[in-house]
Formats: sequence, structure tokens, C-alpha cells
Amino acid sequence: MKFTTITRWEFKETLKSKKFLIIFCLQLSMLFLMIFVFNAFAANIQSDNGVSLTPSLSGFASLDIDDQGHLFTKYINPSLINIQSSNYNTALQNLNNGEITGFVQVPADSLNSIKNIDTINVKLYLDYSDPKRSVISDEVNSTTNILATSISNSWIDSLIPQNTTQIVVNQQSTGQSLQIQLLTNAMLAILLFLPLFFFGNLIIDSVVGEKEKKTGEILMAMPISPSQIILGKILAVEAIIALQIVLWMIILITMGFKFANPILIYILVTITALPIIGVTTIISAYSKNYKEAGIGITLSYIAVVGVLIIPALTYLSVKPLAANISPMTMVMRILSGETIPFWQYFIPIAFILLVSIITYWISIKLFERDDIFFGPRPGLIRLFLELISFKKIKKIR
Amino acid sequence: MNHYMKILTLAKKESQDILNNKIYILVIFVQLFLVLGAFGLAIISSIATDPALLDTYGITSHLNVGISENLNGSELSQDLKAQNFNIIYYNNTDKALKLLGSGLVAVVGISPEGEITVQTDNSNVFYPVVSQKINNAVNEFELTKKLEAAGLNQSEIHTIQNPVTLTEIKVNGNKTAPIALDSSYFVEIMYGFIVPFVLLLPFFMASNIVTDSVVGERERKTFEVLLMTPLSSSTVMIGKILPILFFSILQSMAWILLLDLLKVPIYNPIILFFILSFVGLGFIGVGIIISMLVDSTKEANSAITLALVFATFILFVPLFIKAPFFEGILNFIPTVLIVKLASTPIINSQLVLSSIPTILLSAGIFSLAVRYFRHERAIRL
Repeated sequence: MKFTTITRWEFKETLKSKKFLIIFCLQLSMLFLMIFVFNAFAANIQSDNGVSLTPSLSGFASLDIDDQGHLFTKYINPSLINIQSSNYNTALQNLNNGEITGFVQVPADSLNSIKNIDTINVKLYLDYSDPKRSVISDEVNSTTNILATSISNSWIDSLIPQNTTQIVVNQQSTGQSLQIQLLTNAMLAILLFLPLFFFGNLIIDSVVGEKEKKTGEILMAMPISPSQIILGKILAVEAIIALQIVLWMIILITMGFKFANPILIYILVTITALPIIGVTTIISAYSKNYKEAGIGITLSYIAVVGVLIIPALTYLSVKPLAANISPMTMVMRILSGETIPFWQYFIPIAFILLVSIITYWISIKLFERDDIFFGPRPGLIRLFLELISFKKIKKIR
Repeated sequence: MNHYMKILTLAKKESQDILNNKIYILVIFVQLFLVLGAFGLAIISSIATDPALLDTYGITSHLNVGISENLNGSELSQDLKAQNFNIIYYNNTDKALKLLGSGLVAVVGISPEGEITVQTDNSNVFYPVVSQKINNAVNEFELTKKLEAAGLNQSEIHTIQNPVTLTEIKVNGNKTAPIALDSSYFVEIMYGFIVPFVLLLPFFMASNIVTDSVVGERERKTFEVLLMTPLSSSTVMIGKILPILFFSILQSMAWILLLDLLKVPIYNPIILFFILSFVGLGFIGVGIIISMLVDSTKEANSAITLALVFATFILFVPLFIKAPFFEGILNFIPTVLIVKLASTPIINSQLVLSSIPTILLSAGIFSLAVRYFRHERAIRL
């Protein structure tokens, strides 16, 4: 009997399971939700507001304005601030009562001051007992600068109508903004790698389930080695993950996302599943029950996500070669249309293969042990020392 | 009295189960790590996006701007130095351009025709601040050149350069709210996202604990035994969820205290706890309904994860994205309420009234869960 038989059994049983299909469909609906969020952020980039990664809650802070000439109100941004016209007495009362965070008083004769080329003295009353004061202060300062520039330019145009001193300034930017890179390449890469984290339960069911349902003994009695059993189970999960990634990429392409070299991206994402399955199998092999395995996998996936995402995010700003150890970095670089030297593809592939070999070796060693499969289970430290030493271990067969 | 003793006994047993579970204790430390990590990230990103803070912490002086040697001593180089950049002069602009993106954040040059060229590295993490500062320097330079050509007197030049003065007057200075960083970005990201995220984290956990508690009983075959005891199903329900709700609220209280210590004051804590209690009942209700629908802990974990993803979408996406279908209900979403209550020193009666739909919805979900729990019992009997 070969491991391919186990793979075929596991694959068929999983696809036949109604609950698996329901969860599969719910995962696809989650993908649609994320596409919606992604498109909303992308629409924000293309709008006049530009990129904003801070919350965009309207009415976050309140500001009263006394501006009869409508100088200030023309330039102030109302998206985050609730702005109301008021007079000095009412506004100060509201300020003292904590109903507003700030009050801006523009002099009533501001328009005359502009005509007479006089300085306009604007006052900002800020409630220091409100932590949102910096939001008001920042916006008022920004508006003041815009207003000042506008007034200066109008004065210069009126004083020097035939200004021959034309300073030509040519501004150019190189590279893509970090925020745009985050929102387009990094987010899309994260979307592609998401399916890899949805199948931990399959492995738990496959490995821990054998212990809980007491079907492991029957499996061990078959003419197949424990290593082949584990390999068979792992391959079945890898096949299901490969199927979901295909579906996800088809949905993303249908929704308008463009991939340079989709086959290469697909291969990179699919083979990244191998070490993740390996880590999950180690935890499943060691765990006594579903709950323990679930929590162990949650914690280990936080570390796995860190290993995938941190080098990719580092690459966005600093571009170190070592960041290519994460396959997500490579996928992000392909998505951004970068020309990648052929030899650099071997960096993440080598890392994936190395981690896969180590994790599969550990999984097999654990699965072969009587005490781990049937109990009493040894502690982690003792287990680690035994694994790294060359002491004989208690095998099932 | 006897009824309350029964609830307390069951609650005590559930509390002991929770406290004896090392995994739950570990998850509390993971939450602590997340809270401190989020706070640290907010501080770092706030400093990186604020020109004044970058100057205060001396980071701007490490940002290198390459300038053509022709501009050495010029007003433009003085204006750029006034922005606190580290100015490096190059004989050859092409040499400087090769370093753009690695050693230099911007290169400023002048063509033989007198045209100023500014090239900036868009991909640099400090690009927004660098761009703003260079624009300030260039605008200052342009203005000065225009004024010099006009032959104006010093008083006129000063007025044109400073047409608007802004005077900030402190109100309630004796009651200054301590804030870790007086930066609008920091305040927006902390109150606008991190505070509601941190306060709701324990309740996300509560759903998981409920499913473990209920489904676990069924897997261990002790659920039927529990239902056979002289305890009504509502007593069983209350006894199970009371410690879970209590521990979640206790965790939220702890995070509020921690944030206060980190100088992120959280206002209106009593109203917040009132709303969070009902939100907690809603999350627990969802956990109970899922527990009644699934057959194993594995299925429960998958289902609750997906439910929490949808909950995250509904609760947190409106904080960042202005979508038409959120507009009508925006002020009633629990996270929006938490943002406004936590960041406002004075209670706003309109805000309190806006919490009514959340309370009603959460109570509704919980009532549905209780009813379903009773119905389940009837089927089993």
C-alpha cells in the first residue's frame, strides 16, 4: 500500500463532506468581502483625498467658527471635524461646557485687511481638557497655511501685475508611494496567501481525529508505514489548498485584478503551503485533542504570518536581499512588475524546502512514537532533547 | 435565594475551568502583547508622519537631501537647511540622482536656464514629510524671489510673507488631558481604531470560550447529565455565561487602566462597560447558537472564526471606509459609539441614545440563543 492511497481516500472524504463545502463557500464569501474593502481603499487613492490609512470617522471632533467673511470656512476640511458657525460668547460657553473642542475666531474686518494688505490675526481657542485638541490644532494650522499662501499670491499679483521673475520649479517623484505599494501589491499578496491558513482544521481532523475517534490503531495495522500515512495525509491537504488557490485567483482575475505571470505566482503560493502544513502537522501530531491543537495552531500561525509578512513589508521601504526569504516578498515583486534576476527565485524556494524537510521529519518522528500517539505524552523539553539527540525512540513499528 | 445559589455554584465551577485552563491565561498575555504592540506602532507611525515631531526627535537631521554645488549658499539651500534636512552638495547632479532612494531622499538641482528641479523618492517611508518640507522650502524661496524683484520695503515684505497669524489660546489649561503624543495622527489612530479594537478583543475571545464550554460538554457526554440536574435551562445558561462575561469585562477594564497608564485617557468608562456588557451578550449569544448547530469542537472553531470575521467586517470597516450602506446606521455601530464615548470628556445624551439599537440587537441575539438552548433541550428529552 502506498501513501497515494491515503491521499486519495482523504481527498475524496474531504470533498464529499457537506460541512467542508459549506465552510469552503463561506471562505469564498469572505474573499468577496475583502475584495470590497480593497476596492474601497483603492477608490480612496484615486480620489482627491489621496491615501489615508487613518480612520475616517466624520464628526470625530467639533469646531465652532466665527468667520463672517467666509475666508476660513472656504478652505477647512470638514471630513473629520464637525464644523458649526457661531459667535464668540456662544462658542466660549460651548468650549467651557466641553461641547466643542475648539473655536476659531476670524476678525470681522478680515476682508478689509486683505484689501489694505494688513495682517489678519486669527485666534484659536483650544480645549486642553479634550485629547482631540491636536486634531483641531493640526487642521486649523493647515488651513491657516493654505489661506496665507492664497492671500500672499493675490497680494503679489496685485502689487506686481507684470511680474517677470518667473521661477520655474519642476518636481518629479521616483518610485511608487509606500502607501500605494502597501495597498495594491502588499494587500493583494496577503489576499493570495490567505487560503493557506484556512486548512489547519483539515489537518487537525486528519491527524488528531484519528486519536480522538480511536481509528488510528486501525490505520497503524494496515501494511503502510507511519511516514507514508503522514505523507499521504499531507498531500491530500496540499491538493485541496491548490484547488482553492486556483479558484481564488480565478475570482480575483474576474473581479478585475491583474497578475503579471499568474502561473509563477500560483506555484509560489501553492508551495508555500508545504511548510505551513508541516508546522500544523507537528502540532496536530503532538496534541492530545482538537482544542489543544486548535490553540497551538492559532499561536503558531501568528508566528508564520510574521515570517511571511514582515520581510515583505521591510522590502517595501529598504529592499534588503534577505527579505526575499519570504515567498510573499517574491509574489509582491512579481505583482509590482519588477524584473527579478532568475537566481533570486531560489532564495524563497530553498527556504520553503528546508523548512518543509525539517517539519515533515519532525512530524514523522512524532507520529511514530507510542507515547505521543497513545500516551502518556512526554513534555516538550524532553521531546526536543530526544529529537536532537540520537537516542533510540519508542516507535510504533 | 436557592435559585441564586445554584447559579453561583455553576458559575464558580465554570470560573475554575476557565482559570485552570493555561491556554486562556496565555491568550490574555497575547492580548497584552497586542495592546502594547499596537500602542508602539501608533507612536512610531505618528512620529514618522509628523514634520514637527520628526524635528523634535532629531530624525529630520538624518534625512539627506542632495543639492547641486551651484546652489551652495543660495537662499534655496538656506530655506532647505531651515527645514532641518542634512544637506549634501554634489558637483554632478547625475551622481546624486544615482543615490536617490538609497542614500538620498531628494535631489535639488538648477538647470542652466535657472529652472529648479526637485526629484524625491516616493517609496521612502518619510516621503510625505520630506515632500511637505521641500514644498515649504521651495514656496518660501519662490516668494522671496518675487518680493525681491518687486522692490518692496521690509515691512511690506514681512506682511506679505506672513499674511495670517494664528494665536492659540488654551482653555481649561488646569485640566489638561494627558496624551502620550500630541499628534493628530496618533489621536485618530488610537481613538479611531485601537481603543475599540482593544476593548472588544476580550469579547471575541468570549465567543470561543462559550463554544469550548458548551460543545466541550457535549463531546465529553456531560451535557445531558447537566440538563438532567434540577436546574432550569436558563439557570444552566446563566451559570455558564456569567463568568465568561465577567472575565471579558474584567479584561476590558484592565486594558482601559493600561491605556490610562500609557497616557491614552478613556472617558465615560461606566457607559462603555454598560454597552460592552450588551455587546458581550451578543457575542456570547452567537457562540451559543453556533454551539447548538455544530457537532464537534473542530466545527465550532471553524464556524466561530468565520462568524468573527464577518463581525470584524461590520464593526471595523465603517471606521475606515465611507460606504453608502453604512451611512444610515453609522452612528449606531458599537465601534463608532466606543470611539466617540472614549474620546469625549463630556457625556453627550445623543450618543447615549444612539446605543439603544446596539443594546436591543445584542439582547435579541442573546434571547434567541436562550430560546434555542431550551428548544435543544426539549428535543433531547
